[in-house]
Amino acid sequence: MPDHRLEITPAIPIPEHLVGQIQSKLAYVDESIALAQVAASGDQIILQLHAPADASRAAQLTEKVQRVVTEMAKGAFQPKVEVLEDYGERAVPYSADPMDELLARGEVSKEETGIFTFGPLFTRLVNYFESRFLELADSFGAQPYRFPTLMSARMLDRANYFRAFPHSLTFATHLREDLDVINQFADEAAYQEGGLNTPPESFSRIQAMLSPAVCYHLYFSLADHPLPGGQLIATAVGNCFRYESTNLTSLERLWNFTMREVIFVGSKEFVLENRELARERMRLVFDEIGLAYHVESANDPFFVGEFRKQAAFQSAFQLKYEIRARLPFKDDTLAIGSYNYHQDFFGRHLDITLPDGSPIHTGCTAFGLERVVYAFLSQYGLEPQHWPKAVQEALS
Amino acid sequence: MENTNTQLLDKIRNIMAEVFKVELDQVPPELVFGDLPQWDSMGHMELMMVLEEDLGIPVTGDTITDLVSVQAIYDYKLGQADA
Repeated sequence: MPDHRLEITPAIPIPEHLVGQIQSKLAYVDESIALAQVAASGDQIILQLHAPADASRAAQLTEKVQRVVTEMAKGAFQPKVEVLEDYGERAVPYSADPMDELLARGEVSKEETGIFTFGPLFTRLVNYFESRFLELADSFGAQPYRFPTLMSARMLDRANYFRAFPHSLTFATHLREDLDVINQFADEAAYQEGGLNTPPESFSRIQAMLSPAVCYHLYFSLADHPLPGGQLIATAVGNCFRYESTNLTSLERLWNFTMREVIFVGSKEFVLENRELARERMRLVFDEIGLAYHVESANDPFFVGEFRKQAAFQSAFQLKYEIRARLPFKDDTLAIGSYNYHQDFFGRHLDITLPDGSPIHTGCTAFGLERVVYAFLSQYGLEPQHWPKAVQEALS
Repeated sequence: MENTNTQLLDKIRNIMAEVFKVELDQVPPELVFGDLPQWDSMGHMELMMVLEEDLGIPVTGDTITDLVSVQAIYDYKLGQADA
């Protein structure tokens, strides 16, 4: 880590509940930032830079940082955190970070920042937890769906995604249909200084993204029509992509991860009842697995401009609950899944209607499979004899 | 609305028409969250910010969830004035 520090006093004090949220957004302020830290007290920001900054550059960076702080913290109200389940203190036998051992055993291999491959033990655990989530889906009689890895940029625009989460998007492109451009690429393309040396104008305009979420595909497939029968429960698994810049650390935040979702579409009552039922059913599964976790209200990581309003709305209406597993080695928790209610957002934006003509409501239960396994291994280690019986038996 | 404070009601409706960029007659006293395409989650939070600035209604978890109709905003403001 380079030692070129820039210390900044925030223009307004950062409230405790926003320290983590603002710190994670500072990663996107400037490419020269290697690491951004906000003091727990909220009165100091330290940037580690890739290179020293002269006075004018420091002033430029400071101005950008202050913009983030002001937009996110000014007038922010502290949301009431509602804890629905608390098994965070459940006794678990392991307290080390399993990452070193996973790497040493070849169970995890880093291909690039935020991009990992997984070995047999890790994969069997992913398959096991996925089977438990499929049991949940089956308990609802969920219809299976398969979705592509690419997602339509046009449809994401309709769903207002660019305004809410621009920072984490991953773009899919290809070389333009031009013989000279393609030949030039074939002759000259090389990976240099952290990226391909290809000029940006060689690439096509963006028509597709790498999917940031699974359930959006279902909503897009239902767009512009009344929902037959007025309700639907679906399940799907898919690769998801969220670019997290310098926040891409260990297995806690991956650029490319896998998500299993159970998706509810119908009336408000239908969606809320089933979201609650999913939570109750998963409580029994987590109990059997012996996971130390809690479920609390949360908000999505909206980008700076939208953060204050969207997060406040989401918190006030308790639209999102996160399943947070304990990571004993760092005395912290990790979101491994969530129970979400989108109200009639997708129904309105995508023109999906109930038989009475009103917009449909949607919700989903989502599990990040790599994170679930990482949290489990953080609590139980890599030796199967220390695992809860249910997991041992399933994998024997 | 019986014994309506017409001035207050009009002020609220005017604020909403401005926030949602619609004509005043599109903001009847019966309007509720979701009746206008503009009164979605983002529109609601825009409205809350303006209500705080113009009418001194605080933005809290309770006001965000409660003030989802013209009537509710009117009643809240009236209650604030009486308190």
